[in-house]
Amino acid sequence: MGKMERFSFVALVAGIIFFLFADFVSWALPMFVLKDIPMKKVEDLAAEAKAKNTSAWSDFLRLAKIYFPEQFKKYYGEPNEQTFAEALKIGHHWYVAEGCWNCHSQVIRPVSNETLRFGIPGVSNTVSYPSEYQNELQAPVLWGTKRIGPDLIREAAVHDIGWQVAHLYNPESTSPGTNMPGYPWFFEKDEKGNIVPNKRGLGLLVYLMWLGSWEVKPPKEWALKE
Amino acid sequence: MANNQQLTNLVNYGLVKAHIAMGLLFFIIVALMGFLYSLQLDGIYPFPGIEFLSPGRVRMIHTAGAAYGFLVNLFTGLLYWAVPRFTGYRVLSDALGWFMFIALQAAVLITVVGILFLGQADNVEWGETPWWIDPIIVFWLLLHLIQFGAPLFKASQRGPLYVSGWYISAMLVWTPLVVFMGNLIPRFWSAGTGAGAVQSTFIHDLVGLYVTPVAWGLMYYFVPVILKKPMWSHGLSLLGFWGLAFFYPMNGVHHFLWSPIPMFAQYSAVFATVAIEFAVTSVLINFMMTIRGSAEQLKYNVPLRYMYTGAIFYWITCFQCAFHVTLTFQKVIHFTDWVTGHAHLIMFGTFGLWVLGMAEYVWPKLFGKETMYSKGMSEGAYWLLAIGVFAMFFDLTAAGLVQGFDWIGLNPWIDSVNFSKPFWYFRSITGIMMITGLLMYAINFYKTATTAKGLTAELKSESA
Repeated sequence: MGKMERFSFVALVAGIIFFLFADFVSWALPMFVLKDIPMKKVEDLAAEAKAKNTSAWSDFLRLAKIYFPEQFKKYYGEPNEQTFAEALKIGHHWYVAEGCWNCHSQVIRPVSNETLRFGIPGVSNTVSYPSEYQNELQAPVLWGTKRIGPDLIREAAVHDIGWQVAHLYNPESTSPGTNMPGYPWFFEKDEKGNIVPNKRGLGLLVYLMWLGSWEVKPPKEWALKE
Repeated sequence: MANNQQLTNLVNYGLVKAHIAMGLLFFIIVALMGFLYSLQLDGIYPFPGIEFLSPGRVRMIHTAGAAYGFLVNLFTGLLYWAVPRFTGYRVLSDALGWFMFIALQAAVLITVVGILFLGQADNVEWGETPWWIDPIIVFWLLLHLIQFGAPLFKASQRGPLYVSGWYISAMLVWTPLVVFMGNLIPRFWSAGTGAGAVQSTFIHDLVGLYVTPVAWGLMYYFVPVILKKPMWSHGLSLLGFWGLAFFYPMNGVHHFLWSPIPMFAQYSAVFATVAIEFAVTSVLINFMMTIRGSAEQLKYNVPLRYMYTGAIFYWITCFQCAFHVTLTFQKVIHFTDWVTGHAHLIMFGTFGLWVLGMAEYVWPKLFGKETMYSKGMSEGAYWLLAIGVFAMFFDLTAAGLVQGFDWIGLNPWIDSVNFSKPFWYFRSITGIMMITGLLMYAINFYKTATTAKGLTAELKSESA
């Protein structure tokens, strides 16, 4: 018994051995189980969106060519794979920095009717699965632990760009009764005095329209040609 | 007296004072931040449209500040008091102590500036510090290890360590490992589901392997000292410590039940969490049996009352946890305010009340006084804090059930917001109670430190 009450024994057995054992069970083993899922960089995500012509890609082109062409040219240049990746990165950075993940989760559980509430209407009944998180924008992962607002992992299927713009600027305008704060600093005034998204705002819009886009299967004619 | 002289030389009073004062200041600040965020939920946020006071950013100051500003400061201050006194040796170096003190305040202030003004947050809950601060914190914790490890090591050369020593030794080793693991592995060496498993382990380990062992270590020191009698059972102390040490680190994944993390990790977390309740109950029995026969002291001794109120809240939280950690409960209460209530009862109701009680016991002694400046303010603060936090817990638990069942019922999302509003209003009111209590407590501290009167504990005679 005397040994168990020494600094070195406690530090070695409890401090190191027990800790390593727990880490092995809690995350090293799960990581080993998932090790065959390829890890994607932001550039890979952009290439994939373009190659598969997902709704994220068509929404990106819409945003850059139809909704805010001057703004996009001013801050990002031509809409292509590189600028898509850049916008995604900036959008993700500000999604994290504003603490969006404090009130919005990004995971759909297989219980509590979550697939009905957050799944893609008429298309799928998707529960979150490991491979959709295996990328640079989920390191650290954005599952979140609290929902004040709804889950966002299938957001691309739920709202369009126009809704997102209005909602980010003034949430009350699209969702009466909401207690989400507005984010006017993602917007600026152009020469004509219209309120348009700035660099951060454009990035955030691209990021939001990317969330879940890999699960959206739009009809062919709906996707925009380059 | 010779004995007193010795004790004065053991403890660096300046370090204890500085850490406790800063910890109390940050406690009030993070409480105010939490209150601000709650006003956003009520729909009456006072600073809408101001970028650096955006509620999302304020909420991260509330959580990260509670970890590093409030808890680390207060615990470190109390360790500077307790460790030299129960080991009989000074900490490694006073100069190192002052360097660590300044470094810690600098790290917290840089974090506040980084999150509020620079948009540099990290999406690890409880590790919202910008990622480039995290290696500095790990380095700080290594200094913390040698600073307090030195007296513990010297004492254990002489013979077995006291119970507090086991908890604090293990904590000193765990904390740098935990902070390194939780903040850096998810960012640089994993992603997605693997990162989620690491992050969940981190959230719980910072509670379970830093806050809990240091707090129990201090409890095992302060309670017998105040009651002037030993702990009831040495066997239960051993059982509680080794139970915690083995099962606590495995608890983490219970934060992400029903997520894409492989089920074996989720089951092991549920099992370990239920197991830990037995360890907790053994510790609680030990403390309750220790006060047996001296319970009337709770009437007069406010620090002791803080400690036992916290202990009862601790047991309530852990008992609740044994149920809501199951996959069945998780269907309803995950993502709801139930969890927020649980977190507040443990962090404020237990650890907050404990450190306040311990600080109130230590503070007058640091200034050569016997009691706090005002008994009335002491009592008032205690009742406001204890009633406030328990009311908040009760309110948020109920709100969580309303939200959970509302979401399952597939009502429009805005319904759950509207149904939660009355609970959120009440939560803000309990927040006002708690902040008032804290301010009262802080004024009492300030007065105790600065008053010219020698405060003595003598009873005033009724007739005089």
